[in-house]
Amino acid sequence: MRFMVCLKPVPEPGTVRVDPETHTLKRESATLILNPADRYALEAAVELKEKTGAEVVAVMMGPPNAAPLLKEAYACGADEVYLLSDRAFAGADTLATSYVLSLAAQKLGAFDLIFCGKVSIDGETAQVGPELAAWLDWPSVIWVKELSPVEGGFEVVRVTDEGEERLVAKTPILFTIEPESNDPRPPSVKRLLEMLEKDVPTLTAEDLGADPARLGLEGSPTRVLDVFTPTYEGKKELLEGAAEEVVEKLVSILKERGLI
Amino acid sequence: MAEGVAIFAEWAGDGLHPVSFELLSEARRLADELESKVKAFFPAPPGQESQAEALIRHGADEVLYASHPAFENFLDDAASRLLVKMIREDTPEIFLFPATARGQALAPRVAGYLRLGLTAHCIAFEIGKEDRTLIQIRPSFGENVMAKIISLTKPQMATVRPGVFPKAKEDPARRGEIKKFPVSDEDARSALKVLERRPKAAPKVDLSRAKVVVAGGRGLGTKEFFAKLFELAELLEGAVGATRPVCHLGWISEDHMIGVSGQTVSPRLYFGFGISGAVHHLVGIRNPGLMVAVNTDPEAPLMKKADVAVVGDVREVLPLLIRRLKELKGESHEA
Repeated sequence: MRFMVCLKPVPEPGTVRVDPETHTLKRESATLILNPADRYALEAAVELKEKTGAEVVAVMMGPPNAAPLLKEAYACGADEVYLLSDRAFAGADTLATSYVLSLAAQKLGAFDLIFCGKVSIDGETAQVGPELAAWLDWPSVIWVKELSPVEGGFEVVRVTDEGEERLVAKTPILFTIEPESNDPRPPSVKRLLEMLEKDVPTLTAEDLGADPARLGLEGSPTRVLDVFTPTYEGKKELLEGAAEEVVEKLVSILKERGLI
Repeated sequence: MAEGVAIFAEWAGDGLHPVSFELLSEARRLADELESKVKAFFPAPPGQESQAEALIRHGADEVLYASHPAFENFLDDAASRLLVKMIREDTPEIFLFPATARGQALAPRVAGYLRLGLTAHCIAFEIGKEDRTLIQIRPSFGENVMAKIISLTKPQMATVRPGVFPKAKEDPARRGEIKKFPVSDEDARSALKVLERRPKAAPKVDLSRAKVVVAGGRGLGTKEFFAKLFELAELLEGAVGATRPVCHLGWISEDHMIGVSGQTVSPRLYFGFGISGAVHHLVGIRNPGLMVAVNTDPEAPLMKKADVAVVGDVREVLPLLIRRLKELKGESHEA
Protein backbone atom coordinates (compact mmCIF):
# COMPACT_ATOMS: atom_id res chain seq x y z
CA MET A 1 0.00 0.00 0.00
CA ARG A 2 1.00 3.59 -0.52
CA PHE A 3 -0.13 6.55 1.56
CA MET A 4 0.14 10.26 0.88
CA VAL A 5 0.29 12.79 3.72
CA CYS A 6 -0.41 16.45 2.95
CA LEU A 7 1.55 18.87 5.09
CA LYS A 8 1.25 22.63 5.25
CA PRO A 9 3.90 25.17 6.18
CA VAL A 10 2.33 27.85 8.34
CA PRO A 11 3.80 31.09 9.63
CA GLU A 12 4.85 30.89 13.22
CA PRO A 13 2.24 32.95 15.05
CA GLY A 14 3.45 36.54 15.33
CA THR A 15 5.84 36.43 12.37
CA VAL A 16 3.37 36.78 9.54
CA ARG A 17 3.14 39.66 7.08
CA VAL A 18 0.35 40.29 4.67
CA ASP A 19 0.52 41.62 1.12
CA PRO A 20 -1.24 44.99 1.31
CA GLU A 21 -2.50 44.63 -2.28
CA THR A 22 -3.97 41.13 -2.33
CA HIS A 23 -4.36 40.57 1.43
CA THR A 24 -2.83 37.14 1.02
CA LEU A 25 -0.07 35.89 3.29
CA LYS A 26 3.49 36.71 2.36
CA ARG A 27 4.74 33.27 3.27
CA GLU A 28 8.30 33.96 2.20
CA SER A 29 8.59 36.66 4.89
CA ALA A 30 7.53 34.48 7.81
CA THR A 31 9.26 31.90 9.95
CA LEU A 32 7.63 28.68 8.84
CA ILE A 33 6.61 25.81 11.06
CA LEU A 34 4.78 22.59 10.30
CA ASN A 35 1.05 23.13 10.85
CA PRO A 36 0.49 21.56 14.30
CA ALA A 37 -2.56 19.51 13.29
CA ASP A 38 -0.62 17.93 10.40
CA ARG A 39 1.72 16.15 12.82
CA TYR A 40 -1.19 13.92 13.84
CA ALA A 41 -1.90 13.13 10.18
CA LEU A 42 1.74 12.16 9.61
CA GLU A 43 1.85 10.08 12.77
CA ALA A 44 -1.39 8.28 11.84
CA ALA A 45 0.10 7.39 8.44
CA VAL A 46 3.42 6.23 9.92
CA GLU A 47 1.70 4.11 12.57
CA LEU A 48 -0.46 2.47 9.93
CA LYS A 49 2.62 1.90 7.77
CA GLU A 50 4.25 0.06 10.65
CA LYS A 51 1.21 -2.22 10.87
CA THR A 52 0.74 -2.79 7.15
CA GLY A 53 4.13 -2.26 5.51
CA ALA A 54 3.00 0.62 3.33
CA GLU A 55 5.09 3.50 1.99
CA VAL A 56 4.43 7.00 3.26
CA VAL A 57 4.89 9.93 0.88
CA ALA A 58 4.76 13.40 2.42
CA VAL A 59 3.97 16.35 0.15
CA MET A 60 3.88 20.02 0.94
CA MET A 61 2.96 22.97 -1.22
CA GLY A 62 5.04 25.93 -0.23
CA PRO A 63 7.96 28.26 -0.89
CA PRO A 64 11.53 26.89 -1.18
CA ASN A 65 12.28 27.83 2.44
CA ALA A 66 9.69 25.27 3.58
CA ALA A 67 11.98 22.40 2.50
CA PRO A 68 13.51 21.83 5.97
CA LEU A 69 10.03 20.99 7.27
CA LEU A 70 9.94 18.07 4.84
CA LYS A 71 13.30 16.86 6.12
CA GLU A 72 11.67 16.84 9.54
CA ALA A 73 8.76 14.84 8.11
CA TYR A 74 11.29 12.33 6.75
CA ALA A 75 12.87 12.14 10.20
CA CYS A 76 9.41 11.49 11.66
CA GLY A 77 8.91 8.44 9.46
CA ALA A 78 7.96 9.52 5.91
CA ASP A 79 9.69 7.40 3.25
CA GLU A 80 9.60 9.97 0.47
CA VAL A 81 9.09 13.73 0.64
CA TYR A 82 8.25 16.25 -2.09
CA LEU A 83 7.97 20.01 -2.10
CA LEU A 84 5.42 21.40 -4.55
CA SER A 85 6.82 24.80 -5.27
CA ASP A 86 6.35 27.31 -8.05
CA ARG A 87 5.84 31.07 -8.19
CA ALA A 88 2.64 30.32 -10.07
CA PHE A 89 1.16 28.73 -6.91
CA ALA A 90 1.33 32.00 -4.94
CA GLY A 91 -1.93 33.44 -3.66
CA ALA A 92 -3.82 30.16 -4.02
CA ASP A 93 -7.07 29.75 -2.11
CA THR A 94 -8.25 26.32 -0.99
CA LEU A 95 -9.56 25.32 -4.43
CA ALA A 96 -6.30 26.18 -6.21
CA THR A 97 -4.29 24.53 -3.42
CA SER A 98 -6.28 21.31 -3.47
CA TYR A 99 -5.93 21.24 -7.28
CA VAL A 100 -2.11 21.20 -7.02
CA LEU A 101 -2.26 18.50 -4.32
CA SER A 102 -4.55 16.43 -6.55
CA LEU A 103 -1.98 16.58 -9.36
CA ALA A 104 0.71 15.41 -6.94
CA ALA A 105 -1.52 12.56 -5.77
CA GLN A 106 -1.91 11.42 -9.37
CA LYS A 107 1.74 11.82 -10.26
CA LEU A 108 3.22 10.17 -7.17
CA GLY A 109 0.54 7.47 -6.71
CA ALA A 110 -1.16 5.14 -6.92
CA PHE A 111 -2.25 5.86 -3.37
CA ASP A 112 -4.66 3.89 -1.21
CA LEU A 113 -5.01 6.54 1.46
CA ILE A 114 -4.43 10.26 1.77
CA PHE A 115 -4.02 11.82 5.20
CA CYS A 116 -4.56 15.50 6.00
CA GLY A 117 -4.57 17.49 9.21
CA LYS A 118 -7.91 18.63 10.57
CA VAL A 119 -7.36 22.36 10.18
CA SER A 120 -4.51 24.82 9.71
CA ILE A 121 -3.71 27.50 12.25
CA ASP A 122 -3.44 30.25 9.63
CA GLY A 123 -6.37 29.98 7.23
CA GLU A 124 -8.45 27.82 9.60
CA THR A 125 -10.79 26.78 6.79
CA ALA A 126 -10.46 22.96 7.09
CA GLN A 127 -11.42 22.81 3.41
CA VAL A 128 -8.37 21.53 1.55
CA GLY A 129 -8.75 17.88 2.59
CA PRO A 130 -12.33 17.30 1.40
CA GLU A 131 -11.73 19.52 -1.66
CA LEU A 132 -8.74 17.40 -2.63
CA ALA A 133 -10.89 14.27 -2.31
CA ALA A 134 -13.45 15.84 -4.66
CA TRP A 135 -10.79 16.73 -7.26
CA LEU A 136 -9.81 13.04 -7.22
CA ASP A 137 -13.45 11.88 -7.04
CA TRP A 138 -12.54 9.96 -3.87
CA PRO A 139 -14.62 9.56 -0.74
CA SER A 140 -13.43 11.32 2.40
CA VAL A 141 -14.04 11.15 6.12
CA ILE A 142 -13.10 14.05 8.35
CA TRP A 143 -12.15 14.09 12.05
CA VAL A 144 -10.95 10.47 12.15
CA LYS A 145 -9.69 9.44 15.58
CA GLU A 146 -9.18 5.69 15.16
CA LEU A 147 -8.18 3.72 12.14
CA SER A 148 -7.55 0.02 11.54
CA PRO A 149 -7.27 -2.15 8.43
CA VAL A 150 -10.09 -4.62 7.77
CA GLU A 151 -10.97 -6.82 4.79
CA GLY A 152 -11.55 -4.55 1.79
CA GLY A 153 -10.83 -1.27 3.52
CA PHE A 154 -10.55 0.39 6.89
CA GLU A 155 -12.63 0.62 9.98
CA VAL A 156 -12.64 4.15 11.31
CA VAL A 157 -14.09 6.05 14.22
CA ARG A 158 -14.95 9.63 13.43
CA VAL A 159 -15.92 12.46 15.72
CA THR A 160 -19.37 13.93 15.04
CA ASP A 161 -21.35 16.76 16.59
CA GLU A 162 -23.45 14.21 18.45
CA GLY A 163 -20.60 11.98 19.61
CA GLU A 164 -18.79 9.41 17.51
CA GLU A 165 -19.49 7.10 14.61
CA ARG A 166 -17.86 3.81 13.76
CA LEU A 167 -17.84 2.99 10.07
CA VAL A 168 -16.13 0.94 7.41
CA ALA A 169 -14.64 2.72 4.44
CA LYS A 170 -13.46 1.35 1.11
CA THR A 171 -10.20 2.54 -0.37
CA PRO A 172 -9.01 4.72 -1.95
CA ILE A 173 -10.12 7.31 0.57
CA LEU A 174 -8.95 10.54 2.20
CA PHE A 175 -9.01 11.05 5.95
CA THR A 176 -8.50 14.18 8.01
CA ILE A 177 -7.10 13.20 11.39
CA GLU A 178 -8.44 14.43 14.69
CA PRO A 179 -5.73 16.21 16.71
CA GLU A 180 -4.58 14.47 19.89
CA SER A 181 -5.81 11.12 18.58
CA ASN A 182 -2.21 9.86 18.61
CA ASP A 183 1.14 10.84 20.04
CA PRO A 184 3.38 12.23 17.28
CA ARG A 185 6.92 10.89 17.57
CA PRO A 186 9.88 13.24 17.73
CA PRO A 187 12.17 13.30 14.68
CA SER A 188 14.82 10.60 14.61
CA VAL A 189 18.29 12.13 14.77
CA LYS A 190 19.66 9.37 12.57
CA ARG A 191 17.13 10.10 9.84
CA LEU A 192 17.67 13.86 10.19
CA LEU A 193 21.41 13.36 9.61
CA GLU A 194 20.61 11.19 6.58
CA MET A 195 18.75 14.14 5.03
CA LEU A 196 21.29 16.75 6.01
CA GLU A 197 23.24 16.73 2.77
CA LYS A 198 20.30 15.87 0.53
CA ASP A 199 18.01 18.20 -1.35
CA VAL A 200 14.28 17.81 -1.00
CA PRO A 201 12.92 16.96 -4.46
CA THR A 202 10.79 19.81 -5.80
CA LEU A 203 7.94 19.53 -8.26
CA THR A 204 6.95 22.61 -10.24
CA ALA A 205 3.73 23.44 -12.08
CA GLU A 206 5.33 22.08 -15.23
CA ASP A 207 6.45 18.85 -13.54
CA LEU A 208 2.88 18.34 -12.39
CA GLY A 209 1.39 19.15 -15.80
CA ALA A 210 -0.79 21.84 -14.21
CA ASP A 211 -3.33 23.94 -16.07
CA PRO A 212 -1.99 27.50 -15.50
CA ALA A 213 -5.54 28.88 -15.32
CA ARG A 214 -6.16 26.77 -12.19
CA LEU A 215 -3.11 27.99 -10.27
CA GLY A 216 -2.44 30.62 -7.66
CA LEU A 217 -4.47 33.79 -7.42
CA GLU A 218 -5.57 33.40 -11.06
CA GLY A 219 -7.05 29.97 -10.32
CA SER A 220 -8.69 31.05 -7.06
CA PRO A 221 -12.42 31.76 -7.21
CA THR A 222 -12.38 33.72 -3.95
CA ARG A 223 -10.98 37.23 -3.61
CA VAL A 224 -10.33 39.35 -0.56
CA LEU A 225 -12.07 42.65 -1.31
CA ASP A 226 -10.98 44.51 1.73
CA VAL A 227 -9.91 44.18 5.32
CA PHE A 228 -11.08 46.32 8.19
CA THR A 229 -10.49 46.64 11.90
CA PRO A 230 -13.67 46.23 13.90
CA THR A 231 -14.33 49.25 16.12
CA TYR A 232 -15.87 49.01 19.54
CA GLU A 233 -18.08 51.68 21.04
CA GLY A 234 -16.62 53.13 24.21
CA LYS A 235 -19.37 53.02 26.82
CA LYS A 236 -17.26 50.87 29.09
CA GLU A 237 -16.42 51.22 32.71
CA LEU A 238 -12.70 51.30 33.43
CA LEU A 239 -11.66 49.97 36.83
CA GLU A 240 -8.18 50.98 37.91
CA GLY A 241 -6.28 50.98 41.16
CA ALA A 242 -5.20 48.50 43.80
CA ALA A 243 -6.35 44.93 43.21
CA GLU A 244 -8.50 44.89 46.38
CA GLU A 245 -10.31 48.05 45.27
CA VAL A 246 -11.02 46.93 41.72
CA VAL A 247 -12.26 43.54 42.86
CA GLU A 248 -14.58 45.25 45.33
CA LYS A 249 -15.93 47.52 42.58
CA LEU A 250 -16.30 44.59 40.24
CA VAL A 251 -18.22 42.57 42.82
CA SER A 252 -20.62 45.46 43.41
CA ILE A 253 -21.26 45.79 39.65
CA LEU A 254 -22.00 42.06 39.46
CA LYS A 255 -24.37 42.39 42.42
CA GLU A 256 -26.15 45.40 40.89
CA ARG A 257 -26.70 43.45 37.71
CA GLY A 258 -28.03 40.50 39.66
CA LEU A 259 -25.27 38.28 38.30
CA ILE A 260 -24.16 37.02 41.71
CA MET B 1 -29.42 31.81 -14.49
CA ALA B 2 -28.54 31.33 -10.89
CA GLU B 3 -31.49 32.18 -8.69
CA GLY B 4 -32.37 31.99 -5.02
CA VAL B 5 -30.62 31.81 -1.70
CA ALA B 6 -30.13 28.19 -0.69
CA ILE B 7 -29.32 26.53 2.59
CA PHE B 8 -28.27 23.01 3.42
CA ALA B 9 -30.98 21.75 5.77
CA GLU B 10 -29.07 19.30 7.92
CA TRP B 11 -30.60 15.97 8.86
CA ALA B 12 -29.02 15.12 12.22
CA GLY B 13 -30.08 11.49 12.51
CA ASP B 14 -33.30 12.12 14.41
CA GLY B 15 -34.49 15.46 13.09
CA LEU B 16 -33.23 18.72 11.67
CA HIS B 17 -30.08 20.15 13.18
CA PRO B 18 -31.18 23.40 14.92
CA VAL B 19 -28.57 25.35 12.94
CA SER B 20 -30.81 24.85 9.87
CA PHE B 21 -33.21 27.43 11.33
CA GLU B 22 -30.37 29.87 11.98
CA LEU B 23 -29.29 29.61 8.34
CA LEU B 24 -32.91 30.17 7.33
CA SER B 25 -33.14 33.48 9.15
CA GLU B 26 -30.06 34.84 7.37
CA ALA B 27 -31.06 33.33 4.00
CA ARG B 28 -34.48 34.99 4.37
CA ARG B 29 -32.87 38.36 5.07
CA LEU B 30 -30.55 38.03 2.06
CA ALA B 31 -33.34 36.82 -0.23
CA ASP B 32 -35.59 39.71 0.79
CA GLU B 33 -32.81 42.16 0.01
CA LEU B 34 -32.22 40.49 -3.35
CA GLU B 35 -35.98 40.12 -3.99
CA SER B 36 -35.37 36.42 -4.44
CA LYS B 37 -36.45 33.08 -2.97
CA VAL B 38 -35.15 30.90 -0.15
CA LYS B 39 -34.56 27.29 -1.08
CA ALA B 40 -33.76 24.56 1.41
CA PHE B 41 -31.83 21.57 0.03
CA PHE B 42 -32.86 18.71 2.25
CA PRO B 43 -31.42 15.21 1.80
CA ALA B 44 -32.99 12.94 4.43
CA PRO B 45 -34.61 9.54 4.89
CA PRO B 46 -38.20 9.05 3.67
CA GLY B 47 -41.15 10.20 5.77
CA GLN B 48 -39.73 13.57 6.81
CA GLU B 49 -42.37 15.74 5.09
CA SER B 50 -43.23 17.32 8.44
CA GLN B 51 -39.61 18.52 8.75
CA ALA B 52 -39.81 19.96 5.24
CA GLU B 53 -42.96 21.81 6.30
CA ALA B 54 -41.14 23.15 9.35
CA LEU B 55 -38.51 24.61 7.04
CA ILE B 56 -41.25 26.44 5.15
CA ARG B 57 -42.83 27.79 8.34
CA HIS B 58 -39.39 29.14 9.28
CA GLY B 59 -38.82 31.04 6.06
CA ALA B 60 -38.14 28.69 3.13
CA ASP B 61 -40.10 29.27 -0.09
CA GLU B 62 -39.07 25.94 -1.58
CA VAL B 63 -37.82 22.76 -0.04
CA LEU B 64 -36.01 20.34 -2.32
CA TYR B 65 -36.54 17.14 -0.43
CA ALA B 66 -34.21 14.36 -1.64
CA SER B 67 -35.30 11.27 0.21
CA HIS B 68 -33.60 7.89 0.32
CA PRO B 69 -33.28 5.35 3.15
CA ALA B 70 -29.47 5.59 2.91
CA PHE B 71 -29.63 9.22 4.07
CA GLU B 72 -30.56 8.11 7.57
CA ASN B 73 -26.80 8.33 8.03
CA PHE B 74 -24.55 11.06 6.72
CA LEU B 75 -22.52 9.64 3.82
CA ASP B 76 -19.95 12.23 2.78
CA ASP B 77 -19.45 10.98 -0.76
CA ALA B 78 -23.08 10.25 -1.67
CA ALA B 79 -24.34 13.47 -0.08
CA SER B 80 -21.83 15.59 -1.99
CA ARG B 81 -22.56 13.90 -5.33
CA LEU B 82 -26.27 14.39 -4.76
CA LEU B 83 -25.85 18.05 -3.87
CA VAL B 84 -23.74 18.59 -6.98
CA LYS B 85 -26.56 17.10 -9.05
CA MET B 86 -29.17 19.22 -7.30
CA ILE B 87 -27.15 22.42 -7.73
CA ARG B 88 -26.58 21.69 -11.42
CA GLU B 89 -30.33 21.33 -11.97
CA ASP B 90 -31.39 24.25 -9.83
CA THR B 91 -28.45 26.62 -9.41
CA PRO B 92 -28.88 29.07 -6.55
CA GLU B 93 -27.17 32.46 -6.46
CA ILE B 94 -25.98 31.86 -2.91
CA PHE B 95 -25.53 28.64 -0.90
CA LEU B 96 -25.07 28.67 2.88
CA PHE B 97 -23.83 25.61 4.74
CA PRO B 98 -23.65 25.11 8.49
CA ALA B 99 -20.08 24.79 9.82
CA THR B 100 -21.12 21.65 11.68
CA ALA B 101 -19.33 18.30 11.40
CA ARG B 102 -21.53 17.36 8.43
CA GLY B 103 -21.45 20.81 6.85
CA GLN B 104 -17.67 21.00 7.05
CA ALA B 105 -17.38 17.53 5.51
CA LEU B 106 -19.81 18.36 2.72
CA ALA B 107 -19.33 21.97 1.60
CA PRO B 108 -15.67 21.61 0.50
CA ARG B 109 -16.52 18.44 -1.43
CA VAL B 110 -19.25 20.29 -3.31
CA ALA B 111 -16.88 23.22 -3.93
CA GLY B 112 -14.21 20.82 -5.19
CA TYR B 113 -16.53 19.01 -7.60
CA LEU B 114 -18.05 22.21 -8.98
CA ARG B 115 -14.78 24.24 -8.87
CA LEU B 116 -16.41 26.88 -6.71
CA GLY B 117 -15.17 29.39 -4.20
CA LEU B 118 -16.05 28.65 -0.57
CA THR B 119 -15.55 30.89 2.44
CA ALA B 120 -15.32 29.19 5.83
CA HIS B 121 -16.81 30.34 9.12
CA CYS B 122 -18.44 33.60 8.05
CA ILE B 123 -19.81 35.82 10.76
CA ALA B 124 -21.79 38.28 8.63
CA PHE B 125 -22.94 38.87 5.07
CA GLU B 126 -23.69 41.96 3.03
CA ILE B 127 -25.05 42.36 -0.46
CA GLY B 128 -23.02 44.50 -2.88
CA LYS B 129 -25.22 47.38 -3.99
CA GLU B 130 -24.34 47.39 -7.69
CA ASP B 131 -23.85 43.78 -8.62
CA ARG B 132 -25.81 41.65 -6.09
CA THR B 133 -22.49 40.14 -4.95
CA LEU B 134 -22.48 38.33 -1.63
CA ILE B 135 -19.86 39.96 0.57
CA GLN B 136 -18.69 37.34 3.04
CA ILE B 137 -17.15 38.59 6.26
CA ARG B 138 -14.78 36.49 8.35
CA PRO B 139 -11.69 37.07 10.45
CA SER B 140 -8.70 37.46 8.17
CA PHE B 141 -5.76 35.17 8.67
CA GLY B 142 -2.56 36.55 10.00
CA GLU B 143 -3.99 39.91 10.93
CA ASN B 144 -6.15 41.07 13.76
CA VAL B 145 -8.76 42.27 11.30
CA MET B 146 -11.88 41.17 9.46
CA ALA B 147 -11.82 40.39 5.76
CA LYS B 148 -14.53 40.95 3.17
CA ILE B 149 -14.39 38.11 0.70
CA ILE B 150 -16.25 37.57 -2.56
CA SER B 151 -16.62 34.54 -4.82
CA LEU B 152 -16.27 34.86 -8.56
CA THR B 153 -18.28 31.66 -9.08
CA LYS B 154 -21.96 30.76 -8.50
CA PRO B 155 -23.46 29.67 -6.26
CA GLN B 156 -21.46 31.89 -3.93
CA MET B 157 -20.84 29.47 -1.09
CA ALA B 158 -20.03 30.00 2.56
CA THR B 159 -20.19 28.13 5.85
CA VAL B 160 -21.60 29.60 9.04
CA ARG B 161 -20.93 28.40 12.56
CA PRO B 162 -23.87 27.49 14.81
CA GLY B 163 -24.88 30.35 17.09
CA VAL B 164 -23.90 33.16 14.71
CA PHE B 165 -27.37 34.01 13.42
CA PRO B 166 -30.63 34.04 15.37
CA LYS B 167 -33.07 31.20 14.89
CA ALA B 168 -35.78 32.07 12.35
CA LYS B 169 -39.19 32.80 13.85
CA GLU B 170 -41.93 30.35 13.07
CA ASP B 171 -44.94 31.57 11.10
CA PRO B 172 -47.68 28.90 11.01
CA ALA B 173 -49.37 30.73 8.13
CA ARG B 174 -46.34 30.69 5.81
CA ARG B 175 -46.83 28.74 2.60
CA GLY B 176 -44.25 27.26 0.30
CA GLU B 177 -43.61 24.40 -2.03
CA ILE B 178 -42.10 21.01 -1.22
CA LYS B 179 -40.45 19.55 -4.32
CA LYS B 180 -39.38 15.93 -4.27
CA PHE B 181 -35.94 15.56 -5.77
CA PRO B 182 -35.65 12.01 -7.16
CA VAL B 183 -32.81 9.93 -5.71
CA SER B 184 -31.73 6.67 -7.33
CA ASP B 185 -29.89 3.86 -5.54
CA GLU B 186 -26.90 4.85 -7.66
CA ASP B 187 -27.09 8.39 -6.24
CA ALA B 188 -27.04 6.96 -2.72
CA ARG B 189 -24.11 4.59 -3.38
CA SER B 190 -21.28 5.13 -0.92
CA ALA B 191 -17.83 3.85 -0.03
CA LEU B 192 -18.86 4.31 3.60
CA LYS B 193 -21.00 2.12 5.77
CA VAL B 194 -21.95 3.35 9.22
CA LEU B 195 -21.82 0.49 11.73
CA GLU B 196 -22.64 2.29 14.91
CA ARG B 197 -23.44 5.73 16.26
CA ARG B 198 -22.17 6.44 19.72
CA PRO B 199 -23.77 9.44 21.35
CA LYS B 200 -21.58 11.42 23.69
CA ALA B 201 -21.44 9.72 27.07
CA ALA B 202 -21.12 12.88 29.09
CA PRO B 203 -22.00 15.95 27.09
CA LYS B 204 -18.81 17.50 25.78
CA VAL B 205 -18.30 21.02 27.04
CA ASP B 206 -21.34 22.89 25.78
CA LEU B 207 -20.34 26.48 26.10
CA SER B 208 -23.05 27.66 23.74
CA ARG B 209 -25.71 27.33 26.42
CA ALA B 210 -23.65 28.48 29.41
CA LYS B 211 -25.11 31.48 31.26
CA VAL B 212 -21.70 32.41 32.59
CA VAL B 213 -18.46 31.93 30.67
CA VAL B 214 -15.11 32.37 32.34
CA ALA B 215 -12.46 32.50 29.64
CA GLY B 216 -8.71 32.72 29.83
CA GLY B 217 -5.83 33.48 27.51
CA ARG B 218 -2.07 33.34 27.43
CA GLY B 219 -1.86 36.21 29.91
CA LEU B 220 -2.64 33.74 32.70
CA GLY B 221 0.94 32.58 32.37
CA THR B 222 0.85 28.91 33.26
CA LYS B 223 -1.34 25.86 32.94
CA GLU B 224 -1.58 25.64 36.72
CA PHE B 225 -2.79 29.19 37.10
CA PHE B 226 -5.20 28.76 34.18
CA ALA B 227 -6.84 25.97 36.19
CA LYS B 228 -7.94 28.61 38.72
CA LEU B 229 -10.62 29.54 36.21
CA PHE B 230 -12.43 26.31 37.07
CA GLU B 231 -12.73 27.48 40.65
CA LEU B 232 -14.27 30.77 39.55
CA ALA B 233 -16.53 29.01 37.06
CA GLU B 234 -17.82 26.74 39.79
CA LEU B 235 -18.59 29.67 42.07
CA LEU B 236 -20.50 31.39 39.27
CA GLU B 237 -22.07 28.16 38.00
CA GLY B 238 -20.48 28.79 34.66
CA ALA B 239 -18.24 27.10 32.12
CA VAL B 240 -14.59 27.63 31.28
CA GLY B 241 -13.64 28.94 27.85
CA ALA B 242 -10.26 29.47 26.23
CA THR B 243 -8.49 31.15 23.36
CA ARG B 244 -6.85 29.16 20.61
CA PRO B 245 -3.22 29.73 21.70
CA VAL B 246 -4.01 28.39 25.15
CA CYS B 247 -5.54 25.22 23.67
CA HIS B 248 -2.47 24.79 21.48
CA LEU B 249 -0.23 25.21 24.52
CA GLY B 250 -2.07 22.25 26.00
CA TRP B 251 -3.42 24.14 29.01
CA ILE B 252 -6.93 22.94 28.22
CA SER B 253 -8.62 20.77 25.60
CA GLU B 254 -9.97 22.24 22.38
CA ASP B 255 -13.53 21.53 23.53
CA HIS B 256 -13.22 24.77 25.49
CA MET B 257 -12.08 26.91 22.58
CA ILE B 258 -14.17 29.98 21.77
CA GLY B 259 -13.89 31.60 18.36
CA VAL B 260 -13.60 30.98 14.65
CA SER B 261 -12.78 27.30 14.86
CA GLY B 262 -14.21 26.84 18.33
CA GLN B 263 -17.57 27.45 19.92
CA THR B 264 -19.83 30.49 19.88
CA VAL B 265 -21.04 31.67 23.27
CA SER B 266 -23.71 34.15 24.27
CA PRO B 267 -23.73 34.21 28.06
CA ARG B 268 -25.31 36.68 30.48
CA LEU B 269 -21.83 37.19 31.90
CA TYR B 270 -18.53 36.77 30.08
CA PHE B 271 -15.19 37.04 31.85
CA GLY B 272 -11.94 37.34 29.88
CA PHE B 273 -8.75 36.94 31.91
CA GLY B 274 -5.44 37.69 30.24
CA ILE B 275 -7.03 37.71 26.79
CA SER B 276 -5.84 40.38 24.36
CA GLY B 277 -8.89 39.92 22.16
CA ALA B 278 -7.87 38.74 18.71
CA VAL B 279 -10.84 38.82 16.32
CA HIS B 280 -10.51 35.04 16.07
CA HIS B 281 -11.68 34.87 19.68
CA LEU B 282 -14.03 37.86 19.70
CA VAL B 283 -16.22 36.53 16.88
CA GLY B 284 -17.11 33.63 19.15
CA ILE B 285 -18.76 35.93 21.70
CA ARG B 286 -22.23 36.96 20.57
CA ASN B 287 -24.37 39.45 22.48
CA PRO B 288 -22.98 38.90 25.95
CA GLY B 289 -25.10 40.39 28.74
CA LEU B 290 -22.10 41.83 30.54
CA MET B 291 -18.55 41.53 29.30
CA VAL B 292 -15.75 41.86 31.84
CA ALA B 293 -12.08 41.91 30.85
CA VAL B 294 -9.08 41.76 33.13
CA ASN B 295 -5.74 42.75 31.65
CA THR B 296 -2.73 44.89 32.49
CA ASP B 297 -3.01 46.58 29.08
CA PRO B 298 -6.03 48.91 28.85
CA GLU B 299 -5.41 49.21 25.09
CA ALA B 300 -5.97 45.49 24.41
CA PRO B 301 -8.93 45.00 22.02
CA LEU B 302 -10.89 42.94 24.54
CA MET B 303 -10.48 45.72 27.13
CA LYS B 304 -11.88 48.18 24.59
CA LYS B 305 -14.77 45.93 23.77
CA ALA B 306 -15.64 45.01 27.34
CA ASP B 307 -18.41 46.69 29.36
CA VAL B 308 -16.19 46.53 32.42
CA ALA B 309 -12.45 46.72 31.86
CA VAL B 310 -10.38 45.90 34.91
CA VAL B 311 -6.84 47.19 34.59
CA GLY B 312 -4.77 44.88 36.70
CA ASP B 313 -2.63 41.80 37.00
CA VAL B 314 -4.68 38.64 36.57
CA ARG B 315 -2.41 36.92 39.08
CA GLU B 316 -3.69 39.31 41.74
CA VAL B 317 -7.23 39.96 40.58
CA LEU B 318 -8.33 36.38 39.92
CA PRO B 319 -7.42 34.90 43.33
CA LEU B 320 -8.91 37.94 45.10
CA LEU B 321 -12.12 37.67 43.15
CA ILE B 322 -12.39 33.98 43.94
CA ARG B 323 -11.80 34.67 47.63
CA ARG B 324 -14.35 37.50 47.70
CA LEU B 325 -17.02 35.37 45.98
CA LYS B 326 -16.37 32.52 48.42
CA GLU B 327 -16.85 34.93 51.31
CA LEU B 328 -20.11 36.12 49.82
CA LYS B 329 -21.30 32.56 49.39
CA GLY B 330 -20.40 31.83 52.99
CA GLU B 331 -22.37 34.89 54.12
CA SER B 332 -25.46 33.92 52.18
CA HIS B 333 -25.27 30.39 53.62
CA GLU B 334 -25.12 31.76 57.12
CA ALA B 335 -27.99 34.15 56.48
